Amino acid sequence: MTHWRHSITLRLSLAFALLATLVFAALGAYLSRSADAHMTELDAHELLGKLALARHVGSREQSPAALAARLGDALTGEHGVIVAVDSEKGAIFRWPETALAGELAAAAGAVGETPSRLALGGRDYRVVAGGLETAWGETARVVVGRDIRHHTDFLDQLQRDFWLALLAAALLTVVVGILIARHGMHPVRAIAQTAGRISAGQLAERIPEANVPPELAELVGAFNAMLGRLEESFQRLSDFSADLAHELRTPIHTLRMQTEVSLAKPRSDDEYRDLLASNLEEYERLSRMIADMLFLAKADNGLVVPQHEAVRLLDLGRQLFDYYGILAESQQLALDGEDLTVRGDRLMLQRAIGNLLVNAIQHTPAAGRVALSVRRQEDAAVITVSNSGPPIPAAALRTLFERFVRVDHAGEGSGLGLAIARSIVLAHGGSIAASSFGQLTEFVITLPLAGQQAGNG
Amino acid sequence: MKILIVEDEAKTGDYLKQGLSEAGFTADLVRNGVDGMHEGLAGEHDLLILDVNLPGLDGWQVLKALRAAGRELPVLFLTARDQVEDRVKGLELGADDYLVKPFAFSELLARVRTLLRRGRARDAETLALADLELDVLKRRATRAGRRIDLTAKEFALLELFLRRPGEVLSRSFIASQVWDMNFDSDTNVVEVAIRRLRAKVDDDFAPKLIHTLRGMGYVMEIR
Repeated sequence: MTHWRHSITLRLSLAFALLATLVFAALGAYLSRSADAHMTELDAHELLGKLALARHVGSREQSPAALAARLGDALTGEHGVIVAVDSEKGAIFRWPETALAGELAAAAGAVGETPSRLALGGRDYRVVAGGLETAWGETARVVVGRDIRHHTDFLDQLQRDFWLALLAAALLTVVVGILIARHGMHPVRAIAQTAGRISAGQLAERIPEANVPPELAELVGAFNAMLGRLEESFQRLSDFSADLAHELRTPIHTLRMQTEVSLAKPRSDDEYRDLLASNLEEYERLSRMIADMLFLAKADNGLVVPQHEAVRLLDLGRQLFDYYGILAESQQLALDGEDLTVRGDRLMLQRAIGNLLVNAIQHTPAAGRVALSVRRQEDAAVITVSNSGPPIPAAALRTLFERFVRVDHAGEGSGLGLAIARSIVLAHGGSIAASSFGQLTEFVITLPLAGQQAGNG
Repeated sequence: MKILIVEDEAKTGDYLKQGLSEAGFTADLVRNGVDGMHEGLAGEHDLLILDVNLPGLDGWQVLKALRAAGRELPVLFLTARDQVEDRVKGLELGADDYLVKPFAFSELLARVRTLLRRGRARDAETLALADLELDVLKRRATRAGRRIDLTAKEFALLELFLRRPGEVLSRSFIASQVWDMNFDSDTNVVEVAIRRLRAKVDDDFAPKLIHTLRGMGYVMEIR
């Protein structure tokens, strides 16, 4: 897997982990601060309680000794609490009775009734201090402290544990994330497997759309639609090859038969001449068909590149009428419209419109009418070839422009004329359509005018 | 008139040579580009029929070499590919005309005659065969002194025949010369047009002048 950078699984998992870490860290920071604040508040409560106690005792007892004794009693059993009471004359009370209380009192000169932190002898203390009016008329100062080491230790420990837990949680999230993402990607893998199974022979296969998650429904739908189009083109191509083989086989078979039979015994010169002439006609038809097929194959591959010359459509129509009009015996021909000019390949357009015209003339009953009109519609030239006569069935209309499709099998044509007309029109960026209602059949070619219209000049 | 054929495909070359010889030309055949170039440079020929796909030197190179050496003989090239680029390239290199294989031999013959005729005296203004006469300027046709009414296209068709007496004209050649229709259509337009022309020119007269060569086309001659 060289594309881990692009792996959706990995990216999703990392995103999960990052998000989880951020959320945990924020939560941890909040909890840690709350714990700290809570501890501070507890300490302050205790310290201020002790300060109040000392003041209370000090305001009742009539001598320093009595104060010390009474305060000592009240503090019995307290650990970690330091109380020092000093008057101008010296120390009145120390708890515990070590040097620590004195040192703390000395260090806490600037401290007031708001709890402060003091570092002393490598340890942390929280300290409050306040004045005391003794009952015997002296002004004394009370300093109350508390060793908060176990609090800070607790908070440090908490934080250490928390970061470890955070790391573990992040790793776990990555792992679980990968599993979840993998599971989530399962339908994608199923699609890939189906796609992997499909070859030219199994274009009918589709990815089942029933159990596809909605997020992938669009993808699956598009994929299936693509398969549908591929299947259709492939089918057309197969049909085309089969048709081609069939179309070529028939004339070749004829040629072979008549040549074999003719050679089977000696014949007159006239008979040989007849045979060769007949063969020549077949060859001509074959050549024409091959040329047409080649043209269509090239058009399919975008190799038909029309020249860009100015083509006056009415002139072209007139020329085509001159030529194909000869085929019309009793049919009436009509040409009308505007003198429009398109940029295109004169030969190709001649061929495309000519094919439509031949088609129309051949399918018009005696005394019927064939019309060619050229009209402008916005930025397009619309060339309509219409003829009267029995309508083309709707089913046949749909396949009319396919190769080798002959509406009636009476026609002499190769069945490629309309397919060629369509290819030419498409190569010119235009469109072609056929419709048939009542006694009127219409073929409509639309060609872009490219913003220019010829006048009469 | 001497024609040089450069064609490597054995059967095609042989039949081209035979066909042209039987049509009254002197035809020489070489089968590769190098020989083609040497023969062409020797300067004994009036026209060159040149296949594009050749072993050794291809048709383009032969054509280039001849034009570079100042040989101005008309060149008709044959190509198997109906590619616009091929056509354009050939004409740019100085070829005079081209044919896409497979083509009708009568078509080739007609083009060869056109190329050889080119640059000679101006076309005659009156044409005649037997008792058929055509005044090109006055657009008038008579047979045995009787006026024949012709449409413009019928006149053009008759003029084409009279300018090429004895030549076989294929349907596609006629369609392209008279109607400027330059693709093979699968219709019998030319057949119908000839039938109508015959009705006016031949039906009431003798000898018959327009003849059908089955599978090949039409010819105008006194038989």
